[in-house]
Amino acid sequence: MNARLTAAVAAGKAATWLSRRLGMGAGSNFPGKVILRLHAGAPEAMAAHLPGGCVLVSGTNGKTTTSNLLAAVLRAGGRRPVHNRVGANLITGITAALAQASDLRGVPSGDLGLFEVDEATLPAAAERLRPRLVIITNLFRDQLDRYGELESLARKMDAALAALEPGARVLLNADDPLVASLGRDTRASIHYYGIEGAGDTEPGLRHAADSKHCRGCGSPLAFEAHYFGHMGRYSCPGCGLSRPMPEFLASRVELAGTAGSRVSVDTPRWSAEFSLPLPGLYNVHNLLAALGGAQLLGLDEEAVRKGVEGYSTAFGRGERIPVDGRTLFLVLSKNPTGFNEVIRTLRGEGEGLVILAALNDRIADGRDVSWIWDVDFEELAPLPRRLVATGTRAWDMALRMKYAGLEAARLEVREDLREALRAALDAAAEGETVYALATYTATLDLRRLLTRMGAAPGIWREG
Amino acid sequence: MPVLRICHLYPELMNIYGDRGNVIALVGRCLWRGWEARVVRLSLGDPIDPSLHDLFFIGGGQDREQMMVCEDLAGEKGEALRAAVEDGAALLSICGGYQLLGRRFLTCTGEDLPGVSLFDVETVGGDTRFIGNVAVECALEGVGGTLVGFENHSGRTRLGPAARPLGRVLRGHGNNGEDGTEGCVHRHAIGTYLHGSLLPKNPRLADWLILQALRRRHELEELPPLDDALEEAAHRAALRLVLGERPRKGRPRLRRLRPSR
Repeated sequence: MNARLTAAVAAGKAATWLSRRLGMGAGSNFPGKVILRLHAGAPEAMAAHLPGGCVLVSGTNGKTTTSNLLAAVLRAGGRRPVHNRVGANLITGITAALAQASDLRGVPSGDLGLFEVDEATLPAAAERLRPRLVIITNLFRDQLDRYGELESLARKMDAALAALEPGARVLLNADDPLVASLGRDTRASIHYYGIEGAGDTEPGLRHAADSKHCRGCGSPLAFEAHYFGHMGRYSCPGCGLSRPMPEFLASRVELAGTAGSRVSVDTPRWSAEFSLPLPGLYNVHNLLAALGGAQLLGLDEEAVRKGVEGYSTAFGRGERIPVDGRTLFLVLSKNPTGFNEVIRTLRGEGEGLVILAALNDRIADGRDVSWIWDVDFEELAPLPRRLVATGTRAWDMALRMKYAGLEAARLEVREDLREALRAALDAAAEGETVYALATYTATLDLRRLLTRMGAAPGIWREG
Repeated sequence: MPVLRICHLYPELMNIYGDRGNVIALVGRCLWRGWEARVVRLSLGDPIDPSLHDLFFIGGGQDREQMMVCEDLAGEKGEALRAAVEDGAALLSICGGYQLLGRRFLTCTGEDLPGVSLFDVETVGGDTRFIGNVAVECALEGVGGTLVGFENHSGRTRLGPAARPLGRVLRGHGNNGEDGTEGCVHRHAIGTYLHGSLLPKNPRLADWLILQALRRRHELEELPPLDDALEEAAHRAALRLVLGERPRKGRPRLRRLRPSR
């Protein structure tokens, strides 16, 4: 028995208890900090006891939904994943998740680790945990103040993949030219997922699209179909690079607004049709990533079906929360491409909507809110009969909506989140939906507020 | 009826920091006055005719894109841009765009990129980035007051003897983090590190650019006023935020472990 690990795990458990008692929220980073302070090698020491090894899910958008979907499938298949489902995706959060699942010897009571990992943390996490599977969802511009520019992030991810062991597997999004270009120096085997038959494509690249040039030769990519952002079916006229053929693919997608979609999926072992209870084409990618990962881990069709159809939304990712006779539809909107997709989904809900837009500029959101000028709010402007702007950058949000064409009479600014939520609920009729679009910490704040109002269960109790 | 002819340079290459909000603001503020604004987008290989545009805009971009633009602006195209500004056209350049319009840019990897020499400034790549909210006391006549924005750059820009700064840094780093200057002004051309986007929250600067640009072809003393209550409120909120920020020392401590109310 390792006394130092035991002390660290015990301290971590105490810290978890304490931070919950004190109402600090999920208490998911602080315990990790305590543990790492006492034993810097704690996460790898605990993970070494997992017989099925570790799976890491990284990328800009879709990490939480993909890993939660995969966890649901794993559980449906009788596995017991140790999972940082709260979305605390730095080393501290992973450490805390492992400790919470462990006994005092530091032996976790699960059979494999499933961790979503912040894209900048992937190299460090891969080095510590030596994953047997790495899933990368997509790379968009996000928090340039924190992550830096995309190409430098891609280089770090390449280095992380190059260090994987030969038996490991990597599952990449074929529709993202930058992600599909990753892993050229890895000894792990590479697999791809992608969308083949999307009826609802875009006429052209949006200005917020990021990877429009071939990573190999720098020529502008030619797109045969645009899904969203820089996702699509592309090839390079310069060097002949083409999109890899996906092993796990959606052959047909029918979108049904915020309700979700119907998706026909083909995999090397089976084909099936799913009712996906999650909106937007981006969630079809999340589904493909999760079911591809599940098949690479040896799960069968039945587990995938049970896991996906019994899935309840990860908090703040299209969650519907009843409050005061209204429904709050809470969706995390944190970067240009993610926000554009949320707006596209809302367009299917008609006009005269009540919208709460919460923009924070805390460190986890990115301190720079310039990115809101890259979002196509011009397409959101016709939708609301009332839009309440809130958050630490409420005025920036309101100003963006003014320049997008929303007239003053339909626009309201409430810096205080509680007042803003009140104003939005008051603007909605009984039985109506309030659409809450919020950045990361604003989603947490909103969720905490709803918990205190008795409308939503605590974050750490969900799932 | 005045028509503002805007030339947006390299919109698909120099676009990652939301700088297009500046063009949105310029266009909006013309339309609200009942005027027309036309935006022409020019990129690699497209020639610039100095007589066709009243206001040029170029934003910030990533390193690789900046190199491509640097090459494209060398020679005739850079000269056309200089000629337009000497003839009275207005120009706004942000971050990477600003750096390219100086005399030269020495990158931290040792490359020596020649600039357009519109501004008498030189930039040297640093090993750390200046990232954060900025407040500036604006030195531009007819604008005055404060400017607010967000900076994110590793370049250190130094003003030459002929250069006038856009303003004095109240909070943040500005041109180089040492001499207290931010940005540069030459005739009606402005270079600055401020993203945010800059113009929506600094409407007086937006109107200064519009006025200078239109004066080239129209008789105008001043612009008809707009209702800027929301713009000014956003400006004040950003100013409060940046002036209230204390310089961060080290990492947050366990002291923050208090029940949230």
